[in-house]
Amino acid sequence: MPYTAEAFQNEFLALGATEVNAIVTVTSSGAEGGHRTSGATEIIIVDASGSMQAEGRISAARQAAKAAVDCIDDGVHFAIIAGVSTAQQLYPAPGELAVASAQTRADAIRSIDRLQASGGTAMGAWLLLASQLFGLRPGDIAHAILLTDGDNGERSGYLETVLASIAGQFTCDCRGVGVNWKVSELRKIAEAMLGTVDIVAHPSGLAQAFQEMMTAAMGKTSADVQLKVWTPVNASVRFVKLVEPQVMDLTGKRIEDGPRAGRYPLGSWGAESRDYHLCVDVPAGSAGDEMLAARVSVMEGDDVLVQARIRAVWTEDTALSTRISREVAHYTGQAELAEAIQDGIKAREHGDDVTATLKFGRAAQLAHESGNTATEELLATVVDIEDAATGTVRLRRKVNAEDEMALDTRSTKTVRVGRSQ
Amino acid sequence: MTMTECASCADERAAGAAFCEACGRQLSGEPACPNCGTAGSVGADGYCENCGMLAVRPRDHLEADAGEVAAAVTDRGQRHHRNEDAMWLATRGTDVDVVISDGVSASFDPDVASLTAAETAGALLAQAPDVAAADVAAAIVAAKEAVAALASEGDDPRRQMSNPACTIVVAAVRGADVSIGWVGDSRAYWLPADGPAEQLTEDDSWATHVIKMGADPEVALRDPKAHAITAWLGADAGPVPPRTGEFTVTVPGHLVLCSDGLWNYLPDAGDFADVVRAALRSQGTLIDTARALADLANEAGGADNITVALIPVHPADVKE
Repeated sequence: MPYTAEAFQNEFLALGATEVNAIVTVTSSGAEGGHRTSGATEIIIVDASGSMQAEGRISAARQAAKAAVDCIDDGVHFAIIAGVSTAQQLYPAPGELAVASAQTRADAIRSIDRLQASGGTAMGAWLLLASQLFGLRPGDIAHAILLTDGDNGERSGYLETVLASIAGQFTCDCRGVGVNWKVSELRKIAEAMLGTVDIVAHPSGLAQAFQEMMTAAMGKTSADVQLKVWTPVNASVRFVKLVEPQVMDLTGKRIEDGPRAGRYPLGSWGAESRDYHLCVDVPAGSAGDEMLAARVSVMEGDDVLVQARIRAVWTEDTALSTRISREVAHYTGQAELAEAIQDGIKAREHGDDVTATLKFGRAAQLAHESGNTATEELLATVVDIEDAATGTVRLRRKVNAEDEMALDTRSTKTVRVGRSQ
Repeated sequence: MTMTECASCADERAAGAAFCEACGRQLSGEPACPNCGTAGSVGADGYCENCGMLAVRPRDHLEADAGEVAAAVTDRGQRHHRNEDAMWLATRGTDVDVVISDGVSASFDPDVASLTAAETAGALLAQAPDVAAADVAAAIVAAKEAVAALASEGDDPRRQMSNPACTIVVAAVRGADVSIGWVGDSRAYWLPADGPAEQLTEDDSWATHVIKMGADPEVALRDPKAHAITAWLGADAGPVPPRTGEFTVTVPGHLVLCSDGLWNYLPDAGDFADVVRAALRSQGTLIDTARALADLANEAGGADNITVALIPVHPADVKE
């Protein structure tokens, strides 16, 4: 059995308590011994708008796209989209997918040389074309890379409409090059498409970033894994969040599935481990009552891969009910850390230095306490941390735009809870 | 328990009813949830598919009824979320083996510890036709080893960090000969039909220990540590030589074994005997008496799991 699921919680509740929290760790050793259970399709979307001419971005983007093509395994279907005011298929012929081989990879690389920067930015149109191409291979592990350097030029609301119509069809990792793109825009795409978002400040870093994304994508073995959550009558799911390796709220993605159950999409899976935080409101029980607050099933189609149980046991024994679950506490802190950073950045943009200082201070404290040194170091580029333990920070007068964007995009990165006592 | 169908059952079943209107028998195949009453809602894992409550909790209340030979009852009580006591009762004619074990709540999986101890000791005694104190001691040592082994079983690291632990009290009755043994604070009493009762066991508890060393019993028993046990079965227990005793009864009476969920409400042997004798008189049967004693502890608060076993023992010359 390649999948395991384990629930970590303090199941004991004080009398009258109705909130049940648990961290569910889902681990896969890779389906079928690391072999894909279905085919795979990769689409690379490269922004070719006029602004890409600056700082040698377009030539770096060409190198990056070539590096990514080199990473595509034989037999995987793929295509390259050039993003301008409309979406243009760069390789292979429009409306087709290529099957990766030494020959097609060489052809693709030659066609990438034709990529020229001119025109506008229309992310909705690019994603829509990708969705149509993915539609040729239903059931495949479907993954896209989107590279941009600027704001979306489409009329407001169009991107959101597209995302609503294509969500769940493929996963999309987004990268912004330079500092003239909006973190909130790419985050919107990444969240809808269950992908990641990050900044590549300098064009020279693009090739490595593309290689990493493609290597990770090639490691996926299952296309569409879902979390099915059953809860008892009169209970409700307050939230379901991915909390490791990054924070992503999945609550709004629920699709009802039978009585008292709903499914949350998890995207594709390889040999990896992720942690989810579930919070369920249940009716209060009496002393000694034991309730199944949620039955969590990891699903692929109709197959139950593995299950975990979240329990509630009511007790008068306060020594039991006041025990803190280290896992729940840790990830509650990591989610608060991401929120504090994003709130701090917003407050700074609005010129509210008092709120910004408070939020960044809290973030420094949380990052320090939880051993999230990567985030603590990013914070230190935006504020001077005088005392991380107490959360005493001072806003810096001058902050590099790329540092603040890096902090913003990586604010959702979490560290795994230490399991040893 | 078996129930025969009444004449109306078939019609009611055909009409899709969950219960027969005539006899009240449940008609759906699966048992109804005791919490929300939904018929057939209890899933394979024991939880109700409707209200989520754990519906199958066999250890919450168990009874063993051997008619006039012996009876035992174990009950979750009012305050604990599960029953961590376990019992074993086996009879052959008038020969009786009884084991009561009380899981240490502060340890991990104490309910597994107590069940392991009761079953291991009970199974060993069942193989011995003649039982002396040495056999009881051997049964307790085997139980101790089985409970200690639990610490390294299973995947949960908490098993090792806070190994499963429990008490044990054992009695084997062969005709008029009684052998007992214990570790911890589960007790055995001898209640002759007339005359003062005798507590056969001496608690392995902090209070008993300091009183023996000369402390004022009243002060010692008020100490929060009073009920902390000083000997138990478990991986962290070290070598525990079980304490044993054997005697031959010369007057008829009752052997009574119980966990502290009962005797905590009646710590004095005299008071305990008065209550048990009154229950025997008013209830008539052994099983009803055992039930009444568990009820009494529950009415007094049921702060702990409750287990009690009653075995009448007769002198050899009175026996038929």
